[in-house]
Amino acid sequence: MAEEFGVAVEACVGQVVLPGDLLLLPAHPDEDGERLRLGTGTAPRGRLLCGPGLRRCGAGLLVTKCGLLRHRQAGSGAAAGGVYWVDSQQKRYVPVKGDHVIGIVTAKAGDVFKLDVGGSEQASLSYLAFEGATKRNRPNVQVGDLIYGQFLVANKDMEPEMVCIDSSGRSTGMGIIGQDGFLFKVSLGLIRKLLAPKCEIIQELSQLYPFELVLGMNGRIWVKAKTVQQTLIIVNILEACEYMTAEQRKQALAKLSGN
Amino acid sequence: SYIIEERSFMPCEDLLYGRMSFKGFNPEIEKLMIQMNSKCKEKEIEVDDKMEADVSDEEMARRQLYLLYHLYRYETLVGTIGKKFMRKRDQRVLQDEDEDGSSNIRPIKKAKRKFLKPQD
Repeated sequence: MAEEFGVAVEACVGQVVLPGDLLLLPAHPDEDGERLRLGTGTAPRGRLLCGPGLRRCGAGLLVTKCGLLRHRQAGSGAAAGGVYWVDSQQKRYVPVKGDHVIGIVTAKAGDVFKLDVGGSEQASLSYLAFEGATKRNRPNVQVGDLIYGQFLVANKDMEPEMVCIDSSGRSTGMGIIGQDGFLFKVSLGLIRKLLAPKCEIIQELSQLYPFELVLGMNGRIWVKAKTVQQTLIIVNILEACEYMTAEQRKQALAKLSGN
Repeated sequence: SYIIEERSFMPCEDLLYGRMSFKGFNPEIEKLMIQMNSKCKEKEIEVDDKMEADVSDEEMARRQLYLLYHLYRYETLVGTIGKKFMRKRDQRVLQDEDEDGSSNIRPIKKAKRKFLKPQD
């Protein structure tokens, strides 16, 4: 294959990259030799975190999804060298370990529930994976219930497995999602936008009515408000806000709060 | 340098917790939001509450016995606290007393209907 030479990764941050692009990391000082040189420009390379859409390839990163390349300079912790990832858009969810998702119970097979999470396979959830569950004290889960949990095991070789407790045994809000409410599906990019730390959409919506919201990383959102009409209004805004500009959104909300 | 591959978006974009509630619709979720999103270690308070709840059954039985002992001494407390005891006594303490086989069984059993002063 021709043109295997890559582009420096810093040059591509914020630009569109396509699968097959090779991004070269800047030459890092050799481990042992020149450690004494005080790094003026680039910080000493700690571990670099290569996020979704990127794969390690020799001395650089190979792009596997098309989208915008993003970078974050992490200050501390494990990824001292920073994080690179590709901000891509898709509707189909692929289970990833540690993700919090909303699943729909489709079957009860003995001690295990089968959940539909929107992936290629159904996830399994053991009845003991709830807070305070014992062999005698089983959780009251029926077919058709909504469950908010996280993935314990999720790779391409095995069936995904979910749990509703964290590593210390506490549920921290996971488990069966209550009665009523409305479940709908959006694209994964919108979910990430809504879950961003300072999301204007969520802040503006929270001024409207009291409501409850559960966002699953598999594209599913569950909304519950006091009346059916308020619930549907929130659902419509969330579905439409992906393609609205900030101005249009503010106008729509102003009309609603005026009513 | 090491390159770690990561397939989840959580560490990249620092996403918030997925369950949210606004304007007091669900107070427990609002408390949870503050805990999870501020990343402070307030979870220890939850642990203490839970531990107390687990022990409450035995603890209640012990407290029942302890207070019963004092009841024999203080007749002024008979009216209110004695009645409060009669309900709970049925569940646990009565069984414990039976097993112990102490001589206080007779007055206690009749106290279901009417409290008897102990014969000193």
